[in-house]
Amino acid sequence: MASAPTSKYNSHSLENESIKRTSRDGVNRDLSEAVPRLPGETRITDKEVIYICPFNGPIKGRVYITNYRLYLRSLETDSALILDVPLGVISRIEKMGGATSRGENSYGLDITCKDMRNLRFALKQEGHSRRDMFEILTRYAFPLAHSLPNIGILNEEKFNVDGWMVYNPVEEYRRQGLPNHHWRITFINKCYELCDTYPALLVVPYRASDDDLRRVATFRSRNRIPVLSWIHPENKTVIVRCSQPLVGMSGKRNKDDEKYLDVIRETNRQISKLTIYDARPNVNAVANKATGGGYESDDAYHNTELFFLDIHNIHVMRESLKKVKDIVYPNVEESHWLSSLESTHWLEHIKLVLTGAIQVADKVSSGKSSVLVHCSDGWDRTAQLTSLAMLMLDSFYRSIEGFEILVQKEWISFGHKFASRIGHGDKNHADADRSPIFLQFIDCVWQMSKQFPTAFEFNERFLITILDHLYSCRFGTFLYNCESAREKQKVTERTVSLWSLINSNKDKYKNPFYTKEINRVLYPVASMRHLELWVNYYIRWNPRIKQQQPNPVEQRYVELLALRDEYIQRLEELQLASSAKLSDPSTSPSGPSQMMPHVHTHF
Amino acid sequence: MDEIEFSSTGSGWGPRSEVLAVGWGNSCETVRWLLPRGLLNSCPAGVASCPASSCPFPSPRSPRLTLLESVLLLGPRPTTGGMEFSELIRTGRAQAKLLRGPEAPPLRGTLCVTGHHLLLSPGPQGTSDLWLLLLRSVDSIEKRVSGDSGTITLRCKDLRVLQLDIEGVEATLDIARSIEGLRLGDAWHFHPPERYYKRVARETNAWRLSEVNEDFSLCLSYPRAVIVPRAVDDDALARCARFRQGGRFPVLSYHHAPSGTVLLRSSQPLTGPQKRRCAEDEELLRAVLAGARPGAPGFILDTRSAQAAKQARVTGGGTEAKAAYPGWKRLHRPLERGRPLQESFVRLVEACGDLEQSMDGWLSQLEACHWLAHVKEALSTACLAARGVEREEACVLVHGAEGTDSTLLVTSLAQLILDPLSRTMTGFQELVEREWIQAGHPFQLRCAHSAFSHACPKHEAPTFLLFLDCVWQLGRQFPLSLEFGEGLLLALFEHAYASPFGTFLCSSEKERCLCEVRTRTHSLWSGLNQPKVRRKLRNPLYVPNPLAIWPSVEPQSLRLWQGLFLRWIRPPEPSQVAWEKVWQRLASKEKTEGCEPTSKPQL
Repeated sequence: MASAPTSKYNSHSLENESIKRTSRDGVNRDLSEAVPRLPGETRITDKEVIYICPFNGPIKGRVYITNYRLYLRSLETDSALILDVPLGVISRIEKMGGATSRGENSYGLDITCKDMRNLRFALKQEGHSRRDMFEILTRYAFPLAHSLPNIGILNEEKFNVDGWMVYNPVEEYRRQGLPNHHWRITFINKCYELCDTYPALLVVPYRASDDDLRRVATFRSRNRIPVLSWIHPENKTVIVRCSQPLVGMSGKRNKDDEKYLDVIRETNRQISKLTIYDARPNVNAVANKATGGGYESDDAYHNTELFFLDIHNIHVMRESLKKVKDIVYPNVEESHWLSSLESTHWLEHIKLVLTGAIQVADKVSSGKSSVLVHCSDGWDRTAQLTSLAMLMLDSFYRSIEGFEILVQKEWISFGHKFASRIGHGDKNHADADRSPIFLQFIDCVWQMSKQFPTAFEFNERFLITILDHLYSCRFGTFLYNCESAREKQKVTERTVSLWSLINSNKDKYKNPFYTKEINRVLYPVASMRHLELWVNYYIRWNPRIKQQQPNPVEQRYVELLALRDEYIQRLEELQLASSAKLSDPSTSPSGPSQMMPHVHTHF
Repeated sequence: MDEIEFSSTGSGWGPRSEVLAVGWGNSCETVRWLLPRGLLNSCPAGVASCPASSCPFPSPRSPRLTLLESVLLLGPRPTTGGMEFSELIRTGRAQAKLLRGPEAPPLRGTLCVTGHHLLLSPGPQGTSDLWLLLLRSVDSIEKRVSGDSGTITLRCKDLRVLQLDIEGVEATLDIARSIEGLRLGDAWHFHPPERYYKRVARETNAWRLSEVNEDFSLCLSYPRAVIVPRAVDDDALARCARFRQGGRFPVLSYHHAPSGTVLLRSSQPLTGPQKRRCAEDEELLRAVLAGARPGAPGFILDTRSAQAAKQARVTGGGTEAKAAYPGWKRLHRPLERGRPLQESFVRLVEACGDLEQSMDGWLSQLEACHWLAHVKEALSTACLAARGVEREEACVLVHGAEGTDSTLLVTSLAQLILDPLSRTMTGFQELVEREWIQAGHPFQLRCAHSAFSHACPKHEAPTFLLFLDCVWQLGRQFPLSLEFGEGLLLALFEHAYASPFGTFLCSSEKERCLCEVRTRTHSLWSGLNQPKVRRKLRNPLYVPNPLAIWPSVEPQSLRLWQGLFLRWIRPPEPSQVAWEKVWQRLASKEKTEGCEPTSKPQL
């Protein structure tokens, strides 16, 4: 995390003064040591370089490389620049210039990062000075190609909370009131034999036997059969997720699949139709028939209605984000900012994803109809739609732990291919499998939190922390593509969960305005007028834009919380002292626990 | 509203009483809320005994309501140009349905036209309260008849669009004509804040309060008293005035105590094609520098381009010649004004109201309006002026041509950036009073129409709205630093365009004196400072910030002011709910503390 020197525009505000006070969490900071190190992190090398800062020009500094991070400290007295970049963030390392190239600072390394920035270092031209830095970086940033262990596995951090305990599928389904008369929990996928990208535990219609499930699996892409994601606590309508049916060019049908969908429909007696949302644009769904996929046609599936949600595929999203980066880094487009932002189509894609999720939520809540959601494989757009719809419908997921459970359930356990989409430890930067699908989901959540400032327990920092560690590989949470792979690698034993970091210091991630409301359905406005670019994320490296970080309101909230704790402590001490003095037991019940709510109103 | 003193002026219910009764209600608050307690006791006999038959409502629900309705209908009979309002009222009432935009439910009931207001009383079974609209806030009116009913579309100056469906063609036409006739009516008003002069005197004695403009003979648009360098006598000021357009010689706008330098404003010098000079004017500016500190530099910030300033010579204006003003350096920062600014405003409101507009194109449409570009220019010019004063420790003189529009925009914004006191509720009201109203911004001309008027704009320009927008941007970037919230800015916008108070009436102090605004109307400030109203306008997060607040002016940091421009279009729910919750928390906090939170910044 770079903390660039304050620019001339945004210094001198009270809000900014507080930046210096925030400390990096979970990190041992030994003052005698130049680099912060995590337990298990080892130092590899260090070197004097010139960091070519796109905002403040070349800065002389010393770069330290560990097996987890690249850390740069400026050697110039008037600049306190520090760069702290986890190696996992690195997408591509290129050599720039040659031994003979002329011009100042023309020889060195150019590093492309996954988090919307690039780093450029210039080195001395004599004696292949960049070679070892290049090799070490390549080796440790891309351990996959060098058969090195992932850094998450070497991390020996200890937290007082175990984040791996946050999500327990049985408990989560029990919270939803499952199993019930219509839905049962099955362990058919215990050894990932039915579907290798699904979790071990699934919720399916009571009336569908395990054999039925096996037959349905043959007709769904990658065996991802329709299973329950969420059930409405009152009207008992459900959100079911799956992959596309294998209809193909010839228009194949499968009696079992048709029957299975009908069984799902019958679990809800209120509406005679099952609504199917195909996340793709209509043409893409048709085109998928050529590769054996397709969608549920009217004549094969009676009692269903099908809608296409027009959300584009991973390649379109990747290109769109690339365009966003082009206009925000290193220099922000100034003269035609809004029209260039428009030409990236990023907000338009956000709008489509949100609109789709709103439709799903509305159908379940107001339309009282069960909903089946799929795209092609059911692990990208489907995860976006089901998780956002659940966030709109169920206030539980808007708490910190609830949101962690949502991510753990709909994304991690249901096989969103984090390793492929992010390219963890992989040097193949141009891999067509990479795509910012999860980032887009977090962006949608941020848009919702902007529109409903009191509805979410977590703040912006929570979302940014999740995204930072999506790339950092410090935690095992987002490693690998699916649950079966994680189990094989013993991720929960060998790595630390991101939720351990967050839950052990929850106050930092709390939204001061959070007001708990049960049963409130949130319908964000998904109109372009009400969506904005998440400047604090996408343009956070630019010191001229990066103002008000950390958010002054939250900063103040944290200060006040600390003050409250101090007062409570003092109150307890005083009460202890007074109860010691007055040994009369009748005066003592007004203990600190009763004073708490009163104190709490001073948020 | 029981705090409002319901004063009647002895002679019965004059316009003053009406203003009070309606008070805050021009934005369709309900009458129940407005009804002052104790009205029955203090009500003059003439009105209290009004016969029930003259009451326009079929079935009054409470005697109190009848009474207030009577006051509203019978009370105000001021004259405009010798014509009785009653002559303009073609019809008293009609049955109507009111549509208030996409989000609000329609209202049905009896429609009435009074001298100042349009009232809609729901039928006897109606559950909602009386609805009223200040006729002066209507910007344009459109009528349509079909069959035996008609539709009147009222577009208001606060950008609301209302639709009235009225039974009966005659009734429709009569009501439309009545509204057209009546909305031209005007009343008057004021409040004096010479406090700033006292504050400056405490900080330095290089300046004095001059009453040279006592009878407005030097400058029609200046107030009676102005602050000028102590070294310059009144005779010299008189000669300076003749050298400046409209007599607006350089006067003090803000004294920056930490650096001892000042912000001045004036109009352009009348150099003309012959490049005339004025010894007294040169002496005045020399005295300014001498009074600050030895060797203090001076900057003249011309809000026109160098080209435009040069061209102004042809019509007798011009700019300060370098040779004539040693120590002063000229800078040009062209700001948009007049018709282009008004057109930008109109285009923006059109774009915001165009609900059918498809999702793509919104951002480029927003950009094409250039409104945000004007916000950016205004803020960065103000930053430049503020930087001159604070960082360069220089004296800064701001002027354009007449010195009544963009000049005031720059000086008032620069003060908000620099002066913590101007960011308090009281300080900001004083700033508006001193730097806009008393400084002679021609509100009467600039705010005659807002964005909907079909009349060809002559002198209209939303300079003041641009100022409010810039303040809103400051508040968004520094959420803790302004004591007031969006509510105050919205109220000022509304009242600048149409108000039952006299504060924004007329174009200068002189006109206000001639029209006896001070005695014949009430001040908006007293309305806004009613404890209940004031609390709603406050920013609950305010923490006094003694530092300058330097806004980021990159286009990525500036936002469309949704609260104003999408106010009647967006569902009000989320953000309003959020603020209400914050207020609730604040209220409970005040109760527990038993006092108002401190609002005085420590300097």
